[in-house]
Amino acid sequence: MLTVSGLIKSYDGVRRAVDGVTFEVKAREIFGLLGPNGAGKSTTIHVAVGLLAPDGGQVRIGDAGGSSGPPTDPAVRSRVGVAPQALAIYEELTGEENIRFFAQLQGLRGAELRNRTAAALQFVELHDRRRDLARTYSGGMKRRLNLAAAIVHDPQLLFLDEPTVGVDPQSRNAIFENILALRERGLTVVYTTHYMEEAQRLCDRVAIMDQGRILALDTVDGLVRAHGGKSVVVAAVDGHEARIESDDPIGELVRLKQSGPLRDFRLEQPNLERVFLNLTGRQLRD
Amino acid sequence: MGPIFALACKDLRLLVRDKVGFFFVFGFPLLFGLFFGVIFKGAGSSQGAITILVVDDDQSEASKALIGKLTSAAEVKPIVATYEAALDQVRKGERVAYVRIPKGYGESARRPFWGTPPAFELGVDPARKAEAGMIQGVITQYAVRDVMKIFSDPDALRKQTATAIEEVSKADDLTPVQKGIMTAFFGALDSFMSLTLAPGAAATDGNKEGAEEGASIGIGGWEPVRITVNDVRADRRLSSKPNNPMDITFPQCLVWGLMGCSAAFGISLVVERTRGTLIRLRLAPIVRWHILAGKAAACFLMLLAVSGVMLVFAMVAFGVRPENYGMLAVAILCSAICFVGIMMLLSVCGKTENSAGGIGWSVLLMMAMIGGGMMPLFFMPKWMQSVASISPIKWTVLSLEGAVFRGYSLSDMALPCGVLLGIGVAGFAVGARLFTWQEGSS
Ligand SMILES: Nc1ncnc2c1ncn2[C@@H]1O[C@H](COP(=O)(O)OP(=O)(O)OP(=O)(O)O)[C@@H](O)[C@H]1O
Ligand SMILES: [Mg+2]
Repeated sequence: MLTVSGLIKSYDGVRRAVDGVTFEVKAREIFGLLGPNGAGKSTTIHVAVGLLAPDGGQVRIGDAGGSSGPPTDPAVRSRVGVAPQALAIYEELTGEENIRFFAQLQGLRGAELRNRTAAALQFVELHDRRRDLARTYSGGMKRRLNLAAAIVHDPQLLFLDEPTVGVDPQSRNAIFENILALRERGLTVVYTTHYMEEAQRLCDRVAIMDQGRILALDTVDGLVRAHGGKSVVVAAVDGHEARIESDDPIGELVRLKQSGPLRDFRLEQPNLERVFLNLTGRQLRD
Repeated sequence: MGPIFALACKDLRLLVRDKVGFFFVFGFPLLFGLFFGVIFKGAGSSQGAITILVVDDDQSEASKALIGKLTSAAEVKPIVATYEAALDQVRKGERVAYVRIPKGYGESARRPFWGTPPAFELGVDPARKAEAGMIQGVITQYAVRDVMKIFSDPDALRKQTATAIEEVSKADDLTPVQKGIMTAFFGALDSFMSLTLAPGAAATDGNKEGAEEGASIGIGGWEPVRITVNDVRADRRLSSKPNNPMDITFPQCLVWGLMGCSAAFGISLVVERTRGTLIRLRLAPIVRWHILAGKAAACFLMLLAVSGVMLVFAMVAFGVRPENYGMLAVAILCSAICFVGIMMLLSVCGKTENSAGGIGWSVLLMMAMIGGGMMPLFFMPKWMQSVASISPIKWTVLSLEGAVFRGYSLSDMALPCGVLLGIGVAGFAVGARLFTWQEGSS
């Protein structure tokens, strides 16, 4: 569906914001780009959708029929939806006017225009507020409107650049459900985030990015298995906290219980946070 | 066409909701018009002395003295001219009126109480009634004063007075009390004149000038000065002066509206960029020129709307009556195209909203200043008037004036309209060229 190969992009000609990124996104996949601030996620997306010309490398976007083209091709463009990280909505238009306008740009008209506009607003649960100016929306509502503008034309490939920043947990859950539902209908999603929980919950495969490079790329389980290290049993024994790395945390607990009173314990399963720590020596969020 | 239409609608909607932008498009030009309208209304058409042309057919002491009197009068400023020149200038509308001092004026001035005095000819455009009346009043006043001064026959005057007393006593529609008062008055006048007036020569017989419509000015039957009015219909085609001060202000108001409009739309492209919405436009399956065309179409429509509103305002509030609506439509169309080009240039001027707005307005104000958008060009020194040719504002104002009161024909319109179209097309081409599509690519 999307092939990115050897992508290089520098804003100032000196430092590379994206430095040789290569990945492939399969049809109906939810693909995650996980990385800290400044990793190059947004830059990768902007090049991938044709907003930025790459300094090197290539982007191809395919369709169901098997043919593919560059993202600057208008025919390819109408199959792609993008929710940029920086909000791209008109504050002085109502929610509905915004979505209708973007749908018109995509060539929708008549009944289809009306239906798709209403559906997109319902998708992000803004139908009730559709006649209010976007200026009067909360930050999270604006972000949801930004998302609605990306899906109004029913794209096959959807790029979501940190779509849940500032969105409350309830709406965030609703968005997740809807993304999963869209995937069921055949949509392919590229999703960037620096929330590893989101990547873990939503993404089929995750690329871990740092300083313009992809450090690892696999399913969440695969990444954890390869880079997460062992499980850690943290137990309060004899008044102090013990951290025991183990491939068999249950067996370790049983052994601790036998050797003395075990007042408290917790189990630290390896996760993407640990994967990032192990790969870079830094926390994902510092 | 679909995306261009959608883009234009969106822009128009945004402008209507942007209070500041909207004010500069509609509010400010209306205020500008109201301000000057009030000033001009207050001043009326008598801004200081009216220049009139004086044709001296008499060439006598008396006529020279009268011209001297008029020169020192506050109301008029006489310029001596030949009859042909005077007629021509009034016809062209360059001067309001001419006054022709008739042959025999000096003679008749000496015998003001009898005979028909030779008639002054006042040549004036019938449309300018107020000025005509004023000039008539002034001529009468000074001519009579002149007569009084030159007048030097106390006997004749006393004879007149005696006749008056006699007529009063014979009148049967006066009460005895009225008769008493009037007789006493004329008696006092008679003795006053016998004391103050020096003896002088008698007058000869006068000749009657052929007057189309004689307007006698005098008290009772006394007619010291006769003025015939000659309707000299000013042909606006030959003139360059409006007859309604608002005819000058209307094009200027309109220019401010056009400037506000192009400034608002010029900024809107920068706003799209800074607010991130340009990204969505670029992501849509449309091409670059769709966006530019949409912007231009919205701006063009708004420019036409502003022009329409200003025109209705000027007509309703200030009685502006454009001479040629067809030419006005041509002028407005060309001006709108010009300002679309200016808008495109402004839109690539700044990186941020503030810098774009600042640069845009300073450029526009400069153009307005040198182009006669603030002050009519004919108030400016000659060199300034030629410098003004670099400003599109000058050509806009000229084309509008051409239609409103200069009586331009299509060929007269060709120059200003050609310049406007040229600026419009060039501005659009350069602006579109400089409009960077890719972000971050230098
Ligand atoms: N318009 C720009 N001009 C110059 N440098 C830029 C620009 N945008 C991004 N950069 C730089 O490129 C690098 C990658 O930025 P990018 O926005 O792609 O990171 P990101 O992974 O999306 O970060 P975040 O999680 O904060 O969104 C950063 O070092 C950033 O400073
Ligand atoms: Mg980003």
